[in-house]
Amino acid sequence: MTTKMAPARKIKPHKIKKTTYEIIEPWLFLLPALCVFAVFLYYPLGKTIYLSTFLTDKFGNAKIYRGFQNYLDILNGKYSREFWNSMWVTVRFVFFVATGGLVMGLCTSLITVNKFPGKAFASAIFAMPIAIASSAAAMSFKMILHKSIGLLNYILGTSINWLSDPVWTFPIICILSIWLASGINFIFIGAGLRNVPDELYESASIDGAGYWRKLWNITLPCISPTLFFQIIINIINAFQSFNLVKLLTMGGPQEKTNLIVYSIYLDAFRNFRFGTAAARSIVLFLIIMVITLIQFRAEKRSVHY
Amino acid sequence: MTAVTLTRRQRTVLGKAGSILLNIPFVLLIMTPLLYTFMMSVMPAEELYSRFWPTRMDFVSYLDVFTKTMIPRHILNSFIVAGTVTILQMITCSMAAFSFSFLNFRGRQFVFMCILATMMVPWEATIISNYLTVSKWGWLDTYHVLILPYGCGAMGVFLMRQNYLTFAKELHEAAKLDGCSNWRFLATIVIPLARPSLGALGAYVFLQQWNNYLWPLLVTNSDKVRTVQIGVAQMYDIDSESIALMMAAVIVTLVPSLSIFVFMQKNLINGLMAGAVKG
Repeated sequence: MTTKMAPARKIKPHKIKKTTYEIIEPWLFLLPALCVFAVFLYYPLGKTIYLSTFLTDKFGNAKIYRGFQNYLDILNGKYSREFWNSMWVTVRFVFFVATGGLVMGLCTSLITVNKFPGKAFASAIFAMPIAIASSAAAMSFKMILHKSIGLLNYILGTSINWLSDPVWTFPIICILSIWLASGINFIFIGAGLRNVPDELYESASIDGAGYWRKLWNITLPCISPTLFFQIIINIINAFQSFNLVKLLTMGGPQEKTNLIVYSIYLDAFRNFRFGTAAARSIVLFLIIMVITLIQFRAEKRSVHY
Repeated sequence: MTAVTLTRRQRTVLGKAGSILLNIPFVLLIMTPLLYTFMMSVMPAEELYSRFWPTRMDFVSYLDVFTKTMIPRHILNSFIVAGTVTILQMITCSMAAFSFSFLNFRGRQFVFMCILATMMVPWEATIISNYLTVSKWGWLDTYHVLILPYGCGAMGVFLMRQNYLTFAKELHEAAKLDGCSNWRFLATIVIPLARPSLGALGAYVFLQQWNNYLWPLLVTNSDKVRTVQIGVAQMYDIDSESIALMMAAVIVTLVPSLSIFVFMQKNLINGLMAGAVKG
């Protein structure tokens, strides 16, 4: 005696309608953040692009539309010699500081891997430059490098004008920047080293591998993602360097330390050419954007562990 | 058997001695500029040009920094600016991160990508437009021109969101059933739980602001709001009276940042690790 069951009625899931307040609430939480980003990041980025197509007056008001003329001026026109010089200086600077910082961080973290008395102290010292302001440090460096009363000339027994000598100024700025960058390199590479599994070293030791072999065949491959990540950070930071050059060399001698951010600063705030300065800024933006995209892409693929 | 253990022990001792020997030159390399700065700051005036290791320490320059220069005012300004930015970022980043991790709304992913994308924009590339904007608004030489542009950061939002995502969703649901509003939930439950991340964010932001140079250089031109990095950089002068004074000022400005480094090292490093996404 089976009664035919009525086909189950489809019940639509009861949708709770959000109140108006519930709809806008997430945006209320976001409001302060979005305001800051809109006013001080997206708007000025747009404005920089806009300005880069104009000739401006002394106060930075856009006056005459020039299309791509500002870009042509810096890339292949009346300011091109100075622009390409600053690009070339910046690229060399970035190369030396990124690799130098990496090597310095690798050395300091490798020598503090094993236990020894004073390890904690040494580690703290190696990390310390992260807390040091480049502007305050520049004052010390200025004294150390002073021609007649500086420490460096005293130690070496020379009397070189380190901050205006055409040969030495560029390497000195690189070395000081590496000194300042060494802390962050030490921290990240050190963290990478601690993540290398001990078993790998143990089995290598049993197989009779020596220190250098282990370094080359285990340590370096294992920390290669960290090294890659760190060199990107170094490159991005180095492209944005400004303080040391502003305080120590003013871009000199003969524009040999005229880094791109400093050239933007000069163009805008010394020569009041806001249009070409904006064009330079866009070039800097594009460079950093491409490097960051490379990093994002690589992080997704996440090299190998 | 004994021979083996002996050599092994000898090897560890040798290894440790080797480690120490290897570390010394590197430690010296990093320390020398700071030690030298300190030495110069306590050098009695009559010994200044003749030696690098003072025969006695003379702390009068430190007294002078606090009584004869504008540095105390600059330090106060820096504390006001860096402190306010730190608190502001803790609030704005917590709120934004809460929205991204606990609330569902249309366009969430898109807005989050927009915020992440700001990491690709170097501050230096927008600095001209920012300068022109704030000067048009008549904001130059004020505290808020130093504070508001740094009122939020992608790195902070990202750091806090990563932290919130580890919290159990049930926590939020339970609170909602009990009639707890989202605001109260954020303030009384989420934020106390997220204290370590907030500490990391705070240490990182404070240090970044304390050491900030380019923006304050552009937008301040009086001692009223000028921050300490600008103040110190202005003191450069190599006549005998000024050297010790300048070096003492450098040391004084390093004290707050080095204190953060020493006492909040772990927080700071966590903050840096999160911040390094931007660099």
